Amino acid sequence: MDAGIEVRGLSRTFHTTVRRPGFTGALRSLVNPERVAKHAVSDVSFDVSPGELLALLGPNGAGKSTTIKILTGILTPTSGEARVAGVVPYEERERNARNIGAVFGQRTQLWWDLPVRESFAILRDIYEVPKAEHAARLKEFDDLLDLSSFWDTRVRHLSLGQRVRSDLAAALLHDPPVVFLDEPTIGMDVVVKEQVREFLRYQVEERGRTVLLTTHDMTEVERLSERVVLINHGRLVLDGSLDEIRRTFGSTWQVRATLADAHTDVAGLPGIAVLRHDGPQVVFGPDGPDAPTVHQALKAVIERYEVTGIAIDEADLEDVMRAAYVHAEAI
Amino acid sequence: MNAVRIAWRVTRLNFRAQLEYRTEFLLMIAIGAIWQVSVIVFATVLLTRFTGMGGWDSSEVLLIPATRMLAHGLFVLVLGRVHLVGRQIQEGKIDTYLLRPMPVHRQVQLAFFPTNAIGDLTVAVGLMAGALSRSNLDWTPGRISYLIAAILGGMLLEAALFTGVASACLRFPAADYWGRWLEELLGTFGSYPLNVLPKAVGGFLTYGLPLAFVAYFPAAILTGHGHDTGVPYWLAALSPLLGVLAYLGARLLWRWSLRHYTGVNG
Repeated sequence: MDAGIEVRGLSRTFHTTVRRPGFTGALRSLVNPERVAKHAVSDVSFDVSPGELLALLGPNGAGKSTTIKILTGILTPTSGEARVAGVVPYEERERNARNIGAVFGQRTQLWWDLPVRESFAILRDIYEVPKAEHAARLKEFDDLLDLSSFWDTRVRHLSLGQRVRSDLAAALLHDPPVVFLDEPTIGMDVVVKEQVREFLRYQVEERGRTVLLTTHDMTEVERLSERVVLINHGRLVLDGSLDEIRRTFGSTWQVRATLADAHTDVAGLPGIAVLRHDGPQVVFGPDGPDAPTVHQALKAVIERYEVTGIAIDEADLEDVMRAAYVHAEAI
Repeated sequence: MNAVRIAWRVTRLNFRAQLEYRTEFLLMIAIGAIWQVSVIVFATVLLTRFTGMGGWDSSEVLLIPATRMLAHGLFVLVLGRVHLVGRQIQEGKIDTYLLRPMPVHRQVQLAFFPTNAIGDLTVAVGLMAGALSRSNLDWTPGRISYLIAAILGGMLLEAALFTGVASACLRFPAADYWGRWLEELLGTFGSYPLNVLPKAVGGFLTYGLPLAFVAYFPAAILTGHGHDTGVPYWLAALSPLLGVLAYLGARLLWRWSLRHYTGVNG
C-alpha cells in the first residue's frame, strides 16, 4: 500500500446567500435570494510522499481545513481527485478511516464523559486492534506523552494539553500510515508544545508515518517540516522546501561587521549593498535578485575586509512567511 | 457481532458515567417524568371528569396515550439521540464521527446515555399498567402481540420523523427548529382520538404528519373502532408495518443527506 497523499485539481465550492444590509435588504433577500459561489478550495494539486511531513500553510480562511476535510472523507470535493494511501477518501469513507488518524486541535474525538483509557479501549474495539498490540502501543505512547498521569480522568476534566495529548494517542492507536493534524498545538503552553513536537517527529522519523500538518506556529514548521505548501483564497500559491521559500521570500539577512581600521574605504560587493556605515561598524545587506545567501555574503565580507567582529541577522520563518503571505495577496 | 459488542460496551460505560454524577442523574430522570406532565394531567382529567371521548370510553382512550408514551420512551432510549444532530453538527461532532470506521448514525446514538428516558419510560409503564388494568378487552395473545408490534412501530415512526429532520439538518442546520415543532405537535395531539378534531386537522395528522399511525389507529384496531377512523381498516391495521417502512425510508434519506454533508465553518 502506498502510504502517500495525492491531490489533483481539487476544488470545493460552497453556495451561500448574500445578506443584504438593513431590514429592507433582509426582506429582499428572503423574497429574492441572491446566491453566490464561494470557492473554498480551487484547483489545488500537491503530493505528500510516504514518510514525509508536509506543512499546509495559509492565513485564516485560506482553505486549509476544507482541504483536510476532503482528504479525511468528511467532505466531498466539487471536482478534482484525491487519494490517501491509495483510497479515495470521500468514496470509501470507512476504508479511508482505517488508514488515517486525525487530530483537530479545537475539538476532541474522545468520549466526553468517559475516562481517557475507556475511550482508548472503545477505539481498540472499533478498529479491531489485537489486545497485545494495543497494550504495547499504549505503553509506547505513554512513554512519549506521559499519558498515565491522567488517563483515568474523564475527558471533560482534562486540561487542553492533556486533552490534545490524549487525542494524539487516540488518533494513532490503530497504527495509521497517514496522519492529519489541524492546528494540533493551538493554545498549548511551550512545554507541552515541545512534547507534542517530539512525539510527531518520532512518528515521522521512526514510524515512517505520512503527516499533513496545518499550523500558524512557524516554530513548529521549522522544527518538523522540510517542505511546505502555501494556499491562499483556496489556491495553491507555493509548493517547495523551506530553503526554497527562504530564498524566495527570506532574503532579508544582514551582516554586521566591525572593521579593524575605521578609515577603510567601504564599498559594496557583487549582490551585496552597504546599508549603514558608522565608523568601524558596517552593515551589509542583499542587493538585487541575484543576492548571495547569508553564508556566501559572510565569506565575501571576511575575504574582502579585515574584520575584528562579525555577526549575522537572518529573517526568521515568521518574517519569511509574512512576506510569502503578502506576495500571495498580491497575485 | 463486533458492532453489537461495541454498542453494548459504549452504552454500559456511558450509563456508568452518568451514574457517577448522582444529582445530575436523578435530575435527568425527574425531567424525563415531568416533561410528560401534560399526558398525566390528560389521563387524570379523562378518568375523573369524563366517561369517554369521540365514541370511545375512558379506558379505551387511555390506551392511546399509554401506547404513544411507551413508543416515545423507547424511542428516546434507543434512537432518541438523532434529535440532537443539529447541535452535534454545530459542535463539529459529526465531523469527528466521519473520521471513524463506524456508521455515523450509530455513533450519534452512542454519544451518551439518555438518562431522561428512564423518567419517560417510568411514566409510560405506569400509564400502560393503568390502561390495561381498566381495560375491558380480552387480552388474547394476538391482541398482546399486536400491542407490542404497535409500540415498536410507533417508536420507529417517531424515529423516522426525527431522522427526517436530522437528515434535513445535515444539509440545512437551521432545520433543527422543525424538530422542536415536531416534538411539540406529537406531545399535544398524541393522546387524543383524532376523530374529535376537525377533519382537516385529523387529515393532516394522518397524511401530512402521520401521528395517527403511532397510537390512535393501533388503539382503534385493538378496541374495535377500526372501521371509524376515516381511513380503510387495512391501512389502520398496518400501522406497525408502516412504522418499519417509514424508518427504513428515513434511513435511506439519512444516507443520502450524509453524502451531501457540508458541515460548518467550511
